[in-house]
Amino acid sequence: MPKIDVNEARKLAKLSRLEFNEDELTNFVQEFDKTLEYMDTIKKVDTSNVDLHEKTINAKKQLREDAVQESFTQEAIIANAPQSEDGAFAVPITVEEGE
Amino acid sequence: MKYETVIGLEVHSELNTDTKCFCGCKNHFGGEPNTHCCPVCTGMPGALPMLNKKAVEYAIKMGLAVGCSINEYSAFERKNYFYPDLPKAYQISQMEHPLCMGGGVEIEVNGKKKFIRLNHIHLEEDAGKLIHTNNGTMIDYNRGGVPLIEMVSEPDMSSADEAIAFLQKIRSIVLYLGISEAKMQEGNLRCDVNVSIRKEGEPLGTRTEMKNMNSFRAVARAIRSESQRQAEELDAGHKIVQETRRWDDNAGKSYSMRTKENADDYRYFPDPDIIPIEVEKEYVEHIATTLPKLATERAKEYVEKMGLSYNDAELLTQDRKIADYFENVIKTFNQPKYVCNWILGEVFKKLNSLDNEDAEIDISPENMAKLLQLYHSETIGQATARQLLDEIWGTDKNPEIIVKEKGLAQNNDTAGLEEVLKKIIADNPKAVQELKAGNQKTMQFFVGQAMRATSGKCNPKLVNEIVNKLIK
Amino acid sequence: MDYLNMNLWQVRDKLNSGEITSVELTKKCFQRIKDTNDLNALISTCEEFALASAKKIDEARANGAKLGALAGIPIVIKDNINLTGTKTTCASKFLANFVSPYTATCAQKLIDAGAVIIGKANMDEFAMGSSNETSAFGIVHNPVNPNYVPGGSSGGSATSVASNQCFGALGTDTGGSIREPSSFCGIVGLKPTYGRVSRYGVVAFASSLDQVGNLTRSVRDSAIMLGVIAGEDKHDMTSSAKEIPDYEQAITGSVKGLKIGIAKQFFNDKLNSEVRESLDKAIQTYVDNGAEIVNIDLPSLDTALAVYYIISSAEAASNLARFDGVKYGVQAKNFNDIVDLYFKSRTQGFGKEVKRRIMLGNYVLSSGYFDAFYRKAKRVQKVIQKEFEQAFKKCDLIVCPTTANPAFKIGEKSNDHLAMYLTDIFTVPINIAGLPAMSIPCGKNKDGLPIGMQLIAPQWKETTLFNAGDFLEQAIKEGLK
Repeated sequence: MPKIDVNEARKLAKLSRLEFNEDELTNFVQEFDKTLEYMDTIKKVDTSNVDLHEKTINAKKQLREDAVQESFTQEAIIANAPQSEDGAFAVPITVEEGE
Repeated sequence: MKYETVIGLEVHSELNTDTKCFCGCKNHFGGEPNTHCCPVCTGMPGALPMLNKKAVEYAIKMGLAVGCSINEYSAFERKNYFYPDLPKAYQISQMEHPLCMGGGVEIEVNGKKKFIRLNHIHLEEDAGKLIHTNNGTMIDYNRGGVPLIEMVSEPDMSSADEAIAFLQKIRSIVLYLGISEAKMQEGNLRCDVNVSIRKEGEPLGTRTEMKNMNSFRAVARAIRSESQRQAEELDAGHKIVQETRRWDDNAGKSYSMRTKENADDYRYFPDPDIIPIEVEKEYVEHIATTLPKLATERAKEYVEKMGLSYNDAELLTQDRKIADYFENVIKTFNQPKYVCNWILGEVFKKLNSLDNEDAEIDISPENMAKLLQLYHSETIGQATARQLLDEIWGTDKNPEIIVKEKGLAQNNDTAGLEEVLKKIIADNPKAVQELKAGNQKTMQFFVGQAMRATSGKCNPKLVNEIVNKLIK
Repeated sequence: MDYLNMNLWQVRDKLNSGEITSVELTKKCFQRIKDTNDLNALISTCEEFALASAKKIDEARANGAKLGALAGIPIVIKDNINLTGTKTTCASKFLANFVSPYTATCAQKLIDAGAVIIGKANMDEFAMGSSNETSAFGIVHNPVNPNYVPGGSSGGSATSVASNQCFGALGTDTGGSIREPSSFCGIVGLKPTYGRVSRYGVVAFASSLDQVGNLTRSVRDSAIMLGVIAGEDKHDMTSSAKEIPDYEQAITGSVKGLKIGIAKQFFNDKLNSEVRESLDKAIQTYVDNGAEIVNIDLPSLDTALAVYYIISSAEAASNLARFDGVKYGVQAKNFNDIVDLYFKSRTQGFGKEVKRRIMLGNYVLSSGYFDAFYRKAKRVQKVIQKEFEQAFKKCDLIVCPTTANPAFKIGEKSNDHLAMYLTDIFTVPINIAGLPAMSIPCGKNKDGLPIGMQLIAPQWKETTLFNAGDFLEQAIKEGLK
């Protein structure tokens, strides 16, 4: 039975980009333990004969043709942006490279 | 050498499809920010991906061209991480079931041939662009969603030269297939390098990943720098840290970006919005029939049908654009060997002098043919030909007109030249002696003198002939 | 004439005959909304847009133009469905100011069929919940008894239909979010086969389980609405090209020869006795009219809930990562840098349940746990799918309770999240198996709270649901029970 401790919970929170105070984390760990116990029940099902790559329901053969569709206007794209400048989304200076 | 270097490359090539990978927005370089966007490529709530048929086709094409096996079952996965250029906070990519597996290319370095294996090729989407200003960072999603193929090699390369040869081969094939512009400086060909070192016979060392090289030369510099850095570390008794490093070409150094501990878990899982593709054999066979003649085939043709040497044919066909150009020139001026020599000689020299890896031949094939016609018929001499090449480069100018206007035509009047040379011979008995003694270099002196006397308009070949005749 | 009490198909006739105009009808609906404001069924209304649509339809009707199946009929859509120009909040603080720049395909189909969309329904935040108590815009009350929950996550849609604010509503169902509130409020709720209706424009919760469906006051209404929203959409790769039958025509009035599958796993001793009684009566009615009972076995049924929480949380964690405060939504006020911006915006914008599911989702996707949880869950999902396939070889329809108990009191389960999850125990397996299912009211308990019966059909056989559902509906009306 997997158990999760506060450290792991902290790592999860970081991965989720969520902040919790110590009380919330402790609470979360307690609730989580119960949930994990419940989820563990799937272990009892025999899945040795399951082929996950079997043709799925709704298998669609037609892919999209490479034909240009009209894009949205710049205005529409940034209309909901909390911060924007000259048509671009604006964020604080981002130093590190992405992927 | 104390250590041997082990290099693996991950090459990304932007595909030049008309639309993005998962939506119908235009796949277009440039334009005002966020003007080629829609809810899908900007990650709006409720948007869903629609896979581009052509992107899949191009990926398969590349796979076939490098000898990959094409997976019958291929699926897309989400690579989850937070970064402002990633609108959905996940990149749609492939992991467990990429489109193409295995494959590889043959490279040649210093006369030695080597086969570099590929691990796989997969299809994924590009992120948006970040523009850094003094006040903050601006995000433009025009590039977001553009289809990319990622080609991952096995760690089969052992030097910077081999890595560059590999990159050039890949680029050549991509261009031959016509699936990408493959310009490193424009960002449609990118490369990450994995470098590790080890003593001979030992298992693989810890590798580091390097990013941010914007040219083949930078890749070479980065590899050399990193393998040296690692050697210094090991020699000093330190361990190599598995990390990602950012190459700074101006400084000639790399900097640590993030270690494994700091990096977020990508939590790859199959993207439930995209049905796995069933790639049918007939479809793959159909794509195979649409493959254009690749370099080796064309080179073979040049050798067999045009009588070019194998080496020349190889050099000429390395870059599809050069080979296409060559073929266009000989349409008008059907002297394959002559054109080949000119391209491999003067034109390549010109290209190298431009200090831009992505530079192309900037003279129309028709005008180039005209220039060569003038040169071949001895209407102009070598010096003039070179001069004209420079002058009409990047312009539409017709070399025939320039020759007429500037009176650059070589003087092929034998009789007149003979008169001139008779005088020069008479004035330079010592040189004549040296020439008769067998010193061929002295002929250049006579050519030089004749050039002066005729204001550069004599034909050196004729000078040669006449002088030899006269001194007998 | 109490038009608002009518079914959709009845008011359609009234509109067609000219007895009432769409504008008049729409105005009545808005009045009703005002009168029942305390139920808090809607997050926003679009009066101007609605009246303009209604007027256009009335004019078209007067000109004898050909009209769509829902012409002039006021409809509500859940607030996780994009409609250009309206706020689409998903009942979250995060999207409190988000204005849709585009319209979901299912909403567009309604509009193309002439429907008059009058408002956006309240819901559990980001569709995560079973009681409509997690909305950032206040809880919704069950119109049958306002001290009770309407169910969730499409609680607002259910309450709106059940309180006669509209003639039909769109909801979404990921683990029971249409069927459970329909059961609690005493109306008809349909979750179509996965892929029957396009998800484009519907804010994703769990992409492989979400499906748009309808909530209506009668089965015939449901058939009419499905006929409008069903269909392949090139914007949604998971939508199906399967042909769309005439769903209204599927209602024949007879259930002779219908093979009804009963699984003991659905009728265990945990079942509330009044629910049991109600179901038994309904099943007996079928049998009395020519249907036969077949015993079927669904041995892995009790693992469906765990499978559901693993898969849905994983997909949700990924789907909700796009809410980062950069491109849309509410941004935190004070932050030091981009990383801080993410943390603060998300922490301030999301409610407790949403955060819980995101954490759970990231847990089951983490390397180290991925195989044991996510991958294993996907395998168990296949086992469950196959068990249903086997069962449907022996029967045409499976019948069971929609929920083990009728509606519970507001606040009763909100502190015990596991107890809350367990209310979905009979609805969740259907999403896991991708099947169509409908909840129809089949009785009331002694406190007058509705009891719902769930009909489950094989993939693409919504026709069976409509036929069997309508039959029982008529039977109950005629007091055959």
